[in-house]
Amino acid sequence: MALSANGRGNGASATVAQRLQKELMDIMTKPTPGITAFPDDENMTVWTATITGPDETPYENLVFKLSMEFAPNYPYSPPTVLYKTPIYHPNVDFSGRICLDVLKDKWSAIYNITTVLLSLQSLLGEPNNSSPLNGQAAELWDKDPVEYKRLVLARHKEPEDLDA
Amino acid sequence: MADPAAMPSDEEYAYLQKLSGEYQPEATGPLVGERQSSATITTQYATADPIYRVKTAALPAKYAYFRTCRGDGHCGWRAIAFTYFEALLRVGDVSKLEDEEARLNSLGNLLDHIGYSRDLWIDFAEEAFELLHKLARSLRHMDGQAADILLQTFNDMNASMAIITYVKLLASAWVQTHADDFVHFIDNGDVRGYCANNIEPTMCEADNIGVAALAEALIKPAGFGLEVWYLDRSPGEEINRSFHSEPTDHHHRPIPGAPMLRLLYRPGHYDILYKAGDVPQVQHQPALRQQPLHVALANYTDDFVPTATSVADVMNMIPGMYPTGVGLGQRWPSLSYDFSPSPASHTQVTPIQPYAPAPTPVTPVSTAHLDFVTPIHPNNASQYNPPSHHSIHLDQPPVTLPIHPPPPPPVSLERSAPMTVERGGPFRSSMYELEPGFGSSMQVQPFQTSIFRNSHFNTAHFRNPDFMPEQWLPDGEYSTGNKGRHKSHSS
Repeated sequence: MALSANGRGNGASATVAQRLQKELMDIMTKPTPGITAFPDDENMTVWTATITGPDETPYENLVFKLSMEFAPNYPYSPPTVLYKTPIYHPNVDFSGRICLDVLKDKWSAIYNITTVLLSLQSLLGEPNNSSPLNGQAAELWDKDPVEYKRLVLARHKEPEDLDA
Repeated sequence: MADPAAMPSDEEYAYLQKLSGEYQPEATGPLVGERQSSATITTQYATADPIYRVKTAALPAKYAYFRTCRGDGHCGWRAIAFTYFEALLRVGDVSKLEDEEARLNSLGNLLDHIGYSRDLWIDFAEEAFELLHKLARSLRHMDGQAADILLQTFNDMNASMAIITYVKLLASAWVQTHADDFVHFIDNGDVRGYCANNIEPTMCEADNIGVAALAEALIKPAGFGLEVWYLDRSPGEEINRSFHSEPTDHHHRPIPGAPMLRLLYRPGHYDILYKAGDVPQVQHQPALRQQPLHVALANYTDDFVPTATSVADVMNMIPGMYPTGVGLGQRWPSLSYDFSPSPASHTQVTPIQPYAPAPTPVTPVSTAHLDFVTPIHPNNASQYNPPSHHSIHLDQPPVTLPIHPPPPPPVSLERSAPMTVERGGPFRSSMYELEPGFGSSMQVQPFQTSIFRNSHFNTAHFRNPDFMPEQWLPDGEYSTGNKGRHKSHSS
């Protein structure tokens, strides 16, 4: 126990900062269209990200804000990701929590912020309706695309309106 | 429907389900423990199911030591990675470490090819290279720290996780680039999906495919072998081998004496297993150094228990006692050094060689032979010098044995007794003695030609039970002709 506690302490968090630093460099030098991510002013382990809804989905042209929090043992544990923008989606609950396997037990240390955001973006267009957090949305997705789209737009808020 | 208060609502039920799904017993203990006697395992199972008792009771005789790995869901990967580095130390050759670094570096192409971002995996790989550098530095300075460095590195959560992640990525990349070899073991045949779900995730235990992939990607190219021994409740008297990868060279020929990595698998958990011979006896057990003769005799007395019935054999094993028809020089070809009457001078002789190559033919010797009537030519007797580190000969002037013929049989019986007791003897090993197993990899004899390799003169084959010497066959010419033709067809 003592051994691992030491390992997790100073050494580990230094690595988190290092790794996040590296990812930030990567994101700034090679930006991916449709996603942005930037760390908090004071805290390198808390980031704010945005994703743009993919074309030809109910989320087209909508921008969603997310928060990402990195544990001291990142990348050996997934970041905690929440939707800050209210979103109507089968795999997101009303407080913004996301059900996505790569953010849970299928997390791999080879993933990074960009791959997480890209997975979330593709989840918008391809929800996993077999294990929904929002049952109504899962049902409407196939049954009534028009009503679905209406509910998506009704729930959505522009990022600028959020901070107010 | 039951009372709603008693029945958890769907939401509560989902919550409880989530809790139970996420529950993990708290893993304790060091990430990788110290090597310890495997009798500990026997003790752990002393009150368990009889099958476990029988199997674990038989364990220490074959596998003298084991090392625990923390059961935190990484133990299989950790055990393989650790034993891989440990086997490199067992080889004890700096250039081997350098070769491995170069090889692992070249495996980077594999990772790139699979589509992993080099920026990401290089962090994990560098932790492994860093460890190789540290071990090489320690070996170069001969400071004896290498084993401790290895253990400390693997007990550092961060370094340990990086190395584990690295070997998992190697395994995944190997499976994906050798999909044909693995696709039949994957249910839906989706190799990429399988790797993403069963090898790459941070929390996933090594399964058979992962172990097999690492055996191919990491262990076999290093010239090592891998065995997994399975301890479960299946009927049987010993643990059984559930996975085996023979150490072979790149021509798929077995490498005799190559390090073998051994894992002990109990359902859901891996530990590391060692045979007594896998373990360098020097650094951690200074007590054993005091009695090196014990080691020297161990080869010699392997299959001999000094009971009354085997006394005749014992006498037979004492060099010079029964030169049974064969010339002495032939029987003891390696004992060419001169006898010196001063026992002190013998401490200079390293007691390694003489016994191994000279097995005594066990001729049925009745007690009647104990009267020492067998004539010994004086010149033979003076030429012959008993192996001086044999305590029985140092007890009394060795020359007297052949020269004063009939010592009464009872005396010889008494004389056989100290042989078992006085193993310590006056003989101490040199401090410059190499660790057992040192350079075992070098037995591969890099300069041998393919002709010599297949020759029956090649002593390396003594350890290979399946060895077939190359023979001339009357049909040989035809078969080579066929081969040549076949080749030209296929190319």
